[in-house]
Amino acid sequence: MEDFISLEHIVKVYPPSLLAVDNVSVGFRKGEIHSIVGENGAGKSTLMKLLYGLIPFDSGTVKMNGAPVRFHKPGDAIAMGIGMVHQEIELIPQYTVWENVVLGAEPVRGLGGTLDTTGAIELVRRKIDEFQFNLDPSAQVERISVAARQKVEILKLLYRNVSVLILDEPTAVLTPQEIPQLFAELKRLREAGTTILFISHRLDEVLELSDRITVMRKGKKIATVAASDTDKGALAQMMVGRQVIFTSKRTPHRRGDCVFEAKGLCVARRDGLKLLDDVSFSVHAGEIVGIAGVEGNGQFELVNSIMGLRTPSSGSIKVNGREICGLPILERRRLISFVPQDRARMGASLAASILDNAIMTHHRLEPSFSAWRGLVLDYRHARAFTDELVRRFSVQASSRQSLFRSLSGGNQQKLILGREFLLSTPFFLMDQPTRGLDVGSSEYVHGEILSMREADRAVLLISADLEELFLIADRILVMHRGQIVADLTTERTTIQEVGRYMLEGKRTA
Amino acid sequence: MTRRILSGVLGVVIAFVVGALIMLIEGFEPLATYGALAQFSLGGIGPLATTLKNSVPLVLTGLSAAIAFASGPVNLGQPGQLVFGALAATLGGLYISLPPMLEIPLLLLFAIAGGALWSGLAGLLKQAFDMSEFIVTLMLNMIADFFTAWAIAYPFMDRKAFSPMTPPIAQSGWMPDIGPLSSSVLLMLAAVAVMWFVFQRWRAGYEWRITGQNSLFARLGGCDVRGNFMAVMLVTGALAGLAGGLVVMGGPHRFIKGLGANYAWDGIMIAIMANNGLIETLIYGVFVAAIQTGALGMELITNVPSEIAQVLQAVLVLVIVATREYAVVVFDRLAARHQAKERTT
Amino acid sequence: MNIVIGLITGMIAGATPILLAALGGTLTFYAGIFNIAMEGMMLMAAFAAVLGSFLFHSWVVGVLFAIAGAMILALIFIFFSVTLDTDEFVTGIALNLFAVGSTTYLLRQIFKVKGVFTSKLIDSIPNIHIPLIEEIPLLGPVVSGRNLIVYLAVIATIFCYYLVFKTRFGLRLRAAGYNPNSLDSSGVRTSQMRIYSLLLCAVFCGLAGAFLSLGYVTLFAENMTAGRGWISLAAIILVDGHPYGIALISLLFGFFDGLGLFLQNYGVSSQFTSMVPYIATLVALYVYARRNRERERSTL
Repeated sequence: MEDFISLEHIVKVYPPSLLAVDNVSVGFRKGEIHSIVGENGAGKSTLMKLLYGLIPFDSGTVKMNGAPVRFHKPGDAIAMGIGMVHQEIELIPQYTVWENVVLGAEPVRGLGGTLDTTGAIELVRRKIDEFQFNLDPSAQVERISVAARQKVEILKLLYRNVSVLILDEPTAVLTPQEIPQLFAELKRLREAGTTILFISHRLDEVLELSDRITVMRKGKKIATVAASDTDKGALAQMMVGRQVIFTSKRTPHRRGDCVFEAKGLCVARRDGLKLLDDVSFSVHAGEIVGIAGVEGNGQFELVNSIMGLRTPSSGSIKVNGREICGLPILERRRLISFVPQDRARMGASLAASILDNAIMTHHRLEPSFSAWRGLVLDYRHARAFTDELVRRFSVQASSRQSLFRSLSGGNQQKLILGREFLLSTPFFLMDQPTRGLDVGSSEYVHGEILSMREADRAVLLISADLEELFLIADRILVMHRGQIVADLTTERTTIQEVGRYMLEGKRTA
Repeated sequence: MTRRILSGVLGVVIAFVVGALIMLIEGFEPLATYGALAQFSLGGIGPLATTLKNSVPLVLTGLSAAIAFASGPVNLGQPGQLVFGALAATLGGLYISLPPMLEIPLLLLFAIAGGALWSGLAGLLKQAFDMSEFIVTLMLNMIADFFTAWAIAYPFMDRKAFSPMTPPIAQSGWMPDIGPLSSSVLLMLAAVAVMWFVFQRWRAGYEWRITGQNSLFARLGGCDVRGNFMAVMLVTGALAGLAGGLVVMGGPHRFIKGLGANYAWDGIMIAIMANNGLIETLIYGVFVAAIQTGALGMELITNVPSEIAQVLQAVLVLVIVATREYAVVVFDRLAARHQAKERTT
Repeated sequence: MNIVIGLITGMIAGATPILLAALGGTLTFYAGIFNIAMEGMMLMAAFAAVLGSFLFHSWVVGVLFAIAGAMILALIFIFFSVTLDTDEFVTGIALNLFAVGSTTYLLRQIFKVKGVFTSKLIDSIPNIHIPLIEEIPLLGPVVSGRNLIVYLAVIATIFCYYLVFKTRFGLRLRAAGYNPNSLDSSGVRTSQMRIYSLLLCAVFCGLAGAFLSLGYVTLFAENMTAGRGWISLAAIILVDGHPYGIALISLLFGFFDGLGLFLQNYGVSSQFTSMVPYIATLVALYVYARRNRERERSTL
């Protein structure tokens, strides 16, 4: 069968020197679901963005129906019938569904480009009915669910009559129960003749959905195979470049005294909506407690309440028996190590040196860092400390004066992890510590978390990745609409059970 | 590092070329003009000493802006803080007369307190009511301007003068000259050195820097973000106030009308050119002072109006900043293209 | 009675330039540009207006010059900030400095004066008398007989509202500010929308500047905008850019401006009366910050 779209010898280097796509050639056929799989940073998203004209590539050719084409902006790609739904949903939350759908291709009436509001709503409604999407065109996007937003993104492209749909990790934001619905919709689109390019790193999904699969690793294309000719193990090996074991590394460990205890914790908005609703749980020394849940179900508020960015409306949080609600952040940091989910915003200063990032919090808590009664920082000590940290946590860096920004994601996370690990605290709060890391770095982080457990520290691990929780957590709590709806021992539960709690809350119990 | 210096120098060169083009359009001789500019600012000990003396308020307000911007607070209030510092030093010098060894430090303290008072007010409004210091300091500039204009036109006016100004301050409060060099210059250098040490070596300086880069990270790391904000506002106000005090004590020895207008945005501009670096602020401050000083002499021997210095300054800021930022992009793109070529061949 | 009309006249005179500059600024605000160059654009326009009107003895040419003057700054802004991606704040500050420097320089070069330039040859923008309404007692003298630019400002307010909220252009403009990535992937270039918004801003600031130098007076004075661009920025922030809100805030500032002049007749020294609009801005900021804090508390 002829390739409908072919990419030939595509190279992309992100300035100054990150080789993201390394001489990749791949072809897509009309009406197929073609998955691109690879680890984080393998270049799959970049490859699709290049095809879509969102970023320019350095060399190579794109051909459609055998003729070379060059897209300078997404508008060019859309005009040729190619549309892309991004990983981070790119909608305008302040706009309604119909405004988002028609943006860039708005129906107008009269002079001066006045928007034809009623006409636009009608057009969008008709599209919604055609594809059975079950959306309200006048709803404001910030008020609809994540799954619905994803539909709006797809609808936006269908409204432009695209025949090629690129989806970048669309299942990452969905619950296990929402995924089959999406897949059914995608298969319906394929029957209607749409070509679907599906980016993912979840191999089960890819095998279920696709006709063909292209595997990428470190910017290179490894292979393109028919889904019927391969299996999970083979794909994983191509993806990572070595054998991967899908089993837990946890060894039994005795749990100690209660270290962290939340009791009746509530966070309410002024309009009465409870973002955290009577949350109570404890974490013991030598125990890893995982919190599962769809994002936006209170995890953010829980983290902020523990760290002191937000004052709970009622309830208490105790660490080592000490009430920390109302304490200044510095006092909390004597008890809590913290790895945030957003490294760039909360975990580090990108523009500062490795040294400046390494000594944060230590510079206040440890007397060995101060001279002149705390007025001056002892930089000689700080240098020795940084060198030790870099060595112990094997951070790959050219020098301790180089900028944090220049480190790779995995090395950034190692530095943060090491900094927090070296604080002598009893309690460790980790919010999505492996988000955006490749398999190797994730394995490293998991190993370090397990060694904290060995060192009898209490770990609270918030994660959207259920596989990760099943790999290392001793217990899994599920959050749903601000409540803890389940407290499950890892050995005695399944991914399916946790998924059900995530989606439906207590009703299933 | 070398790349930083290189792009800075390149920026200055491009700016001078743009300036030369403007002069050509205006029908002036660029080379002769630049020659005169250099001659009257750098040619010999006398002009050099004048340039250095003129650089004092520029460097100090630049330092104030650079420290503020690098630490987070958008303190655009240097003009207001400068005139308040100047007014405080003047009032001290009008009513107190002590031997120079006591008078000078006292008046400097007055100036520092005057500037810190005015910036502290903005800091307080931010801390207590969450009012953005960006607009507040701008409005306080205008208010300070009118307030000092009133002060020298009514309560503290020199009745013998033709235009609004105060009588001269006690002679013991005049900054002495050391040979051809004003002692203000030494004070300025000391201020730069002290602020460098605070910024690079003190624990507070570390927290200021990190807060300026990412305040949420600093806060979560246990830094005293609120306290640091107020401290930075006070310190930067003090520096601008000190600049005002030295303008009075080293120059006309009284508060004359329009004293602040000359330095209004120069400090902010210098900090921007220096990318908020403290040493760079010193360099660019002296550089701008040289242009301003030279422009006055240039007007005498060429018929180019000295106001062209102001145009040149604005061109300098834009071109230097754009060159610095764009050079990085260009270098990176070139490197990327080079690597891409290697992969395909 | 005369006092009231006098106050209203002062209010309208004070409000008009701030309103126009803020309307221009709000278009860039919606497009997601941190534009602080209104001050410079207005100043450049005020100078160009006097130049054009003086050379051609025509206020029409003056207004066209004013718009062109502001446009030059807008083009420099576009070149540096949109094309070269230089920091918007830095570009804005440098442009304001450039406006002060070049108008001072040109004042000396072209008119051979320092400080202020005025001449009988400068043609001022006319006042418009509306035939029937003029006869109505009370309302007549307030509504009729105002400067042409005042009426333009009223039209501009409605125009801006319609443009931003009712047109295709407005939908894309706001999208550029809310989420540029979304707009880009919808096939519209964000940078293009930003360029349009800056050019429109220059037109509005041009009118504001022309009003300053050719409206009630016919002169150019160094730095005659005196912070009005900053006040208009504050006005934008205070009402989150809504054109009608801006009109209201501008009238409020105009009122305090007029009040200042009025108080001067009662022996309050001019330095203090001149402070009034800036203090009013601070008070407005206080109210805004308080309201914001309460709103935050209720939604968080």
